[in-house]
Amino acid sequence: MDTNQYMEMFLEESREHLQSLNDGLLALENDPEEVSVVNDIFRNAHTIKGMSATMGFTKIAELTHDMENVFDLLRTEKMKVNEDIMDTLFKTIDSLEQMIESVGSGGPEDVVDITGFASKLSALASGKTVAEAEPAPAPAAAAPAAAAPAAAGSSIEYSDTDKDVIMEAANGGMHVYHVKVTLADNCVLKSARSYMVMNALDQLGEVVKSVPPAEDLEQEKFEQSFDVVTVTDSEMKAIEDSILSISEVESVEIKDAVEEIKAAAAPAEAPAAAPAAAAPTAPAANVPVPAAPVAPAAQPSAPPAKKPAADAKKLKSGQSVRVDIEKLDTLMNLMGELVINKVRLEQIGTTHRLTELTETLEQMDRVTTDLQTVVMKVRMVPVGQVFNRFPRMVRDLAKELGKELNLTIEGEETELDRTVIDEIGDPIMHLLRNSLDHGLEHPDDREAKGKPRIGEVGLIARHEGNNVVIMVTDDGKGIDADVIRRKAVEKGMISEDEANSLDDADAVRLIFLPGFSTAEVVTDVSGRGVGMDVVRSKIETLGGHVDVETKIDEGSVFKIKLPLTLAIIQALLVKVQEEMYAIPLGSIDSTINITQEDIKTVRNKEVIVLRGQIIPIIRLGDILNVPRVHETDSDDIFVVVVHIGERKAGIVVDNLIGQQEIVIKTLGKLLAGLKVISGATVLGDGRVAMILDVSALM
Amino acid sequence: MAKELMTVTEGETQVQVVAFKLRREEYGFNILNVKEIKGLTDITRVPFASDFIKGVINLRGSVLPVIDLKKRLGLQDMEYTDDTRIVVVREDDLEVGMIVDAVTGVITLNGEHIDAAKSVDNENSRFITGVGKVEEERLIILLNLEAIIGLQDEIK
Repeated sequence: MDTNQYMEMFLEESREHLQSLNDGLLALENDPEEVSVVNDIFRNAHTIKGMSATMGFTKIAELTHDMENVFDLLRTEKMKVNEDIMDTLFKTIDSLEQMIESVGSGGPEDVVDITGFASKLSALASGKTVAEAEPAPAPAAAAPAAAAPAAAGSSIEYSDTDKDVIMEAANGGMHVYHVKVTLADNCVLKSARSYMVMNALDQLGEVVKSVPPAEDLEQEKFEQSFDVVTVTDSEMKAIEDSILSISEVESVEIKDAVEEIKAAAAPAEAPAAAPAAAAPTAPAANVPVPAAPVAPAAQPSAPPAKKPAADAKKLKSGQSVRVDIEKLDTLMNLMGELVINKVRLEQIGTTHRLTELTETLEQMDRVTTDLQTVVMKVRMVPVGQVFNRFPRMVRDLAKELGKELNLTIEGEETELDRTVIDEIGDPIMHLLRNSLDHGLEHPDDREAKGKPRIGEVGLIARHEGNNVVIMVTDDGKGIDADVIRRKAVEKGMISEDEANSLDDADAVRLIFLPGFSTAEVVTDVSGRGVGMDVVRSKIETLGGHVDVETKIDEGSVFKIKLPLTLAIIQALLVKVQEEMYAIPLGSIDSTINITQEDIKTVRNKEVIVLRGQIIPIIRLGDILNVPRVHETDSDDIFVVVVHIGERKAGIVVDNLIGQQEIVIKTLGKLLAGLKVISGATVLGDGRVAMILDVSALM
Repeated sequence: MAKELMTVTEGETQVQVVAFKLRREEYGFNILNVKEIKGLTDITRVPFASDFIKGVINLRGSVLPVIDLKKRLGLQDMEYTDDTRIVVVREDDLEVGMIVDAVTGVITLNGEHIDAAKSVDNENSRFITGVGKVEEERLIILLNLEAIIGLQDEIK
């Protein structure tokens, strides 16, 4: 079989399953009693095994199989979770990851020597009485063909998917009942009654299957009776009572679905197991159907859920399509082109005073704005995608550093543009490492300070206006501003006077300067002096901003502020001599008109006083070395007041052109890393204007 | 540097170049690197960029950096004329425009008519892969695109 075409899918799904394995193991490590987690990860392992075997990657399949054996022992509680087991499992997952990535890039499977793990795993597995594991909690393995000789007399047939869901629920301590409802012969509104029954069951639990399917019930495509499988924590009696309370219900039969499946699994017993089961059953009810959607009426034709998740609720997942990110980028670019052309048309409309055109364009503007929002939304990805790799990293790192901590992650569902997501991982990782390495004290030191031994590290994402804020917090020792001052002076980054004139908050910000590292001992983890400035420049190229708040012995908070979208922003266009620049509206406070007399000098620096606040003045023409084409003779001076966090500055320009939607284009590799310029945009007239990086100006 | 020569000597014995003028000399880029040739348009200056980067232009909606090739090669500046062109070249995934005084055409050079760069030794030799000879007296200096646009450290 040519498996190449499936490679992509194999890789993507394997990665997802590995991630789930990692998550599951972490959960298990935190709460070794929570054996139900093993059931979930067992399935992940099993899927990887199946897929890799199909793809012909026998080594991967073998290793996964060995791991599965260990899971099985844990699951059936024949073995207790301990550190040794966890470490081996984690390492196994790492190896699997390497192997999968290797085959993904066309390399061989056996990039890692798995014999060690394999024997370790089997040693673990055989250490306790090996799996004569009863078939009871049927894994996905439960026989692809088993469904075929399904119990003849049973009025309902369970597909493999159904069985998995049912077993999963049963293992989770829920009851799974097969409810057979027979309506009265004289019942007129059968669909209404069946709806009421479904409703009643929905309130008591989760309906996972019905025969005939919900949409047939709705259309009265059944005789007098129908079958429902429900997952609930209520007792049989409660369900019976609630259904019987609905009028025109003749009878209710409730059986344990788990028993039924087990009976069906043993074909010999089958005829005996279910003879009395079916009362006067309508033949139509016997037709096997794919798993009905959980929401009975909501999605009439939803396909059977792809992967039965542990929680039956997850079956509700909507329909989705995997799209190549390149296609989305193209879409975004086209969107950008559209906006540029729209702006150009608007300009034509205004200059030639074509009201008809202007009016049509207003309509079009609404459409493009909506379209733009949709395209943006399509590109949005929850930050959880980045966050989910950190728990594992933090765990390993904490072990390595001998620190104890508890990592709290909040706001994983916060969404960010895909391009930002791809880039944000490294900076966050660096900040986390930093918190662990420099921030948190050793457990003993913490105890000496009267703090709990276990440190708290937080990774929090949330919306803040048009921005997304990601915070890395710790309750460690904090950053000592004096130490930072001293270091900065020692390294010759600033003079002693300068250091002393900085307030504590600004002094701490010195850590973001290139070449600054306070680690006394250079460790493997951080402290090579390429840390924080790299974080800062990365965040800034993403149009964001990073800041730090700290209190000695109470901890530090690193706050990354990122724009929601990167591609299209509102900006103010300004002119300096003959050159046009765009200033992102997000950082603009106000624009004011002043005269030369309003500008004062303080310590040789030009400032203005605005509403009682002293604001430094930046002459854009001088900073950017704009060639002087003509003298500015006007007395009026235009100032754009901008802010970054709490700091403000006034940018002096020659002229204000207006506010406009601009599409941000990168300047490319050749011009990467320019200070003060964060990108470029194409204006309505086809010319290119530079976008100013306000934070770099200040 | 050798790479471009390799393709010249090892592959077919012939190589096609887009030839253009810088002041009085004739230069050439391998035609495989040339994407298009366009007339001079508005160039927006990019503050803080290296001096040989003239600025950026709008190439059908995308922003394209433009190199002043004469400045890059250390040649004397010259006023733009009607013949001035921007040659858009591509190396790996990097696209760049080059300002040239005039494009003279596409020329096919025979491998044996190309001298390796060593024989034309000057300070700019790293930008040059060789010199091709056409007809009797016509010399075309073949440029090393990688060296001209690829040196990140120098640009910063």
